[in-house]
Amino acid sequence: MSWQQVLDLIISIFTTQTGLPNLMFKQVIMIGVAFFFLYLAVAKKFEPLLLVPIGFGIFLVNFPLTPLMGFTEQGAPELIRVFYKYGVEWEVIPCVIFLGLGAMTDFSPLIANPKTLIIGAGAQLGVFITYIGVLFFGFTLKEAASVGIIGGADGPTTIYLTSKLAPHLLGANALAAYSYMAMVPLIQPPIMRLMTTPEQRCIKMHQLRSVSVKEKILFPLIAALLIIFLVPAVAPLMGMFMFGNFMRESGVVKRLTDTAQNALMNIVTIFLGLSVGATMQAEKFLTPKPLLIFAFGLMDFVVCTIGGILTVHVMNLFLKEKINPLIGSAGVSAVPMSARVSHAEGLKADPDNWLIMHAMGPNLAGVIGSAAAAGMFIAMFQ
Amino acid sequence: MKQLFNKRMILFVQYMLVAALIIGGAGFCDAGGFFAFDDMEKPKPEFNRRGEEISAKLIPRAKSTRTVINFRVADGGQLVDVKGVDFQTVDRPEVDVKNFKSAAFEIRIDNVKPGGEARVSMDSDFFAASTAFYVFNPKLEKPWMTPQIVNISRQESIRELVVTVRDGSPLDADGAVDGRIILIGGPRDSFWGYALGTLFIRFFGIFIVLSILMLGMILSGLYFKFNERTQKSENESLGNISGPEKKETGDELPGQSSEATEEEAAVIAAALYLHFKQTSVQTDRVSAQKDEGAWALGGRQRIMNDRLSVFNRLNR
Repeated sequence: MSWQQVLDLIISIFTTQTGLPNLMFKQVIMIGVAFFFLYLAVAKKFEPLLLVPIGFGIFLVNFPLTPLMGFTEQGAPELIRVFYKYGVEWEVIPCVIFLGLGAMTDFSPLIANPKTLIIGAGAQLGVFITYIGVLFFGFTLKEAASVGIIGGADGPTTIYLTSKLAPHLLGANALAAYSYMAMVPLIQPPIMRLMTTPEQRCIKMHQLRSVSVKEKILFPLIAALLIIFLVPAVAPLMGMFMFGNFMRESGVVKRLTDTAQNALMNIVTIFLGLSVGATMQAEKFLTPKPLLIFAFGLMDFVVCTIGGILTVHVMNLFLKEKINPLIGSAGVSAVPMSARVSHAEGLKADPDNWLIMHAMGPNLAGVIGSAAAAGMFIAMFQ
Repeated sequence: MKQLFNKRMILFVQYMLVAALIIGGAGFCDAGGFFAFDDMEKPKPEFNRRGEEISAKLIPRAKSTRTVINFRVADGGQLVDVKGVDFQTVDRPEVDVKNFKSAAFEIRIDNVKPGGEARVSMDSDFFAASTAFYVFNPKLEKPWMTPQIVNISRQESIRELVVTVRDGSPLDADGAVDGRIILIGGPRDSFWGYALGTLFIRFFGIFIVLSILMLGMILSGLYFKFNERTQKSENESLGNISGPEKKETGDELPGQSSEATEEEAAVIAAALYLHFKQTSVQTDRVSAQKDEGAWALGGRQRIMNDRLSVFNRLNR
């Protein structure tokens, strides 16, 4: 073998089997985006449980010649494609996350004050306004629905609906939803102050009644029964949510509840984050649509907050015992972040006004409301 | 606190400005065709012939499930072929592809009496009462036209559209009186009408769903409260009767004895003293809360946040 042949072999290996000569500018940008999200997660503690796997997923799939999201020559899926295919494409992970959420959720504030369900419905206003808004920018109806649901402020619901209707937008939608959920303490307070008077912010609400164990056990059954009858398309999400809650409240399957709350939830979070991050490959992500999604996602959150507060104002016209409109903003289902924001704003107006448990009602109603909105959209395209 | 508020306001305004810039910029670019996105929902019909009928199976725009459109010639000719037409080839400024959910078709009819009429029938459960049928003729100056059609309701939500076409008329794309009709066109529904209609219906649908759930919960709450009250009053009345009986059984808990030693009495008195002292201190603290500073309020905040751990979804 001559020196020339050895050199040719080395050059051939370098150009065809290593990544560097195949690196594109777009991929460099995406690796930068991955670093940005990892920085936010690690240094700023910004939704780290999700941004770490998402950021690392973006990082991994944007190297040249990496087979992680592709298929083998025999058509078998590569590593992260397997997670994506069986977890997200088959719509398993969002439903398992809902199972865990159900197992974590105490519905007492909602059961004690069922009126707050209406606030959860009103806070879905932004979902529908955004749905119409993005249509003007050339989005299809399915894409518009998947972008609209971002304002529902529920990560698993957004992922579930997007994977069903517009899987190519999954990365952008999931990232927008989780980013704005983390920014709820920043986005909501100015709107809350704008939409309420100082007197309204000081409205005191009566202590919630105590809820018996029997009521808590029956709630998931009644809720699942009614919601699935009315919106059958939401059965996978709502069914798992209420199943998780039933396990919790029944108190007889503590080991299963514990697994659903912790181990199972953590496992699926890893696979969900990696899969969502892996959808953000340079050639798919660096298009105008994700930018529009981020812009409309913000508008969506703003309108949903306004919708919740307006609903309380309208309800107060008819109610004897007034509701503090600050809890209206908790109708977006960023649990428990938006309830905390309502509580903090209430404390600013009156240091003796404890709104946290009252705000949990609309907050939990928002979870049910956004799942119902997702079900409505799914049914629309059937 | 005021500084924090100002900071947040500024940040919020910044975010809004960025969002507005992006949306505005996107709108500006859209005017230049920057946002001419790929047609990702292009229907791809598969045709199947059964006797005199040809069926097109396709996933229409804005749908996730397949639908079937059946074509036949009801009268005046014989259906030879139905083909799908790429909308790009018939796209003109006066039509919007979004309104043609099931794309366009080219329908060929033979054995028509020269200059005679044929009635083309299409039925599907995808058609609505408002569905129209637009016809395209590339040889005309204004190629798209809306012929008179009959929209009939059939059983099981199936609707039938019937178009009458005369051989050699503007609706006939070959334009010749030759006993053959080529009809190019497609069912049309209003995209914006559907989008806005569904917006209202589904938004209020959520109110209806959650209102029904609310009613269910109010009713079950009333039942449980009533049940609780009844049980309480029953227990009270039972307690009155069973009180002396309990004494008779002698099944007393420690410390419930009517007689106590001197030592026990002293211990109980000390415990009661400490308990009431503690309570009075707590009451004083509560009443003094308003006078306490940020430290006390911060403590209360932390206690309330601890109560929230049960709702914390950070672990997801």
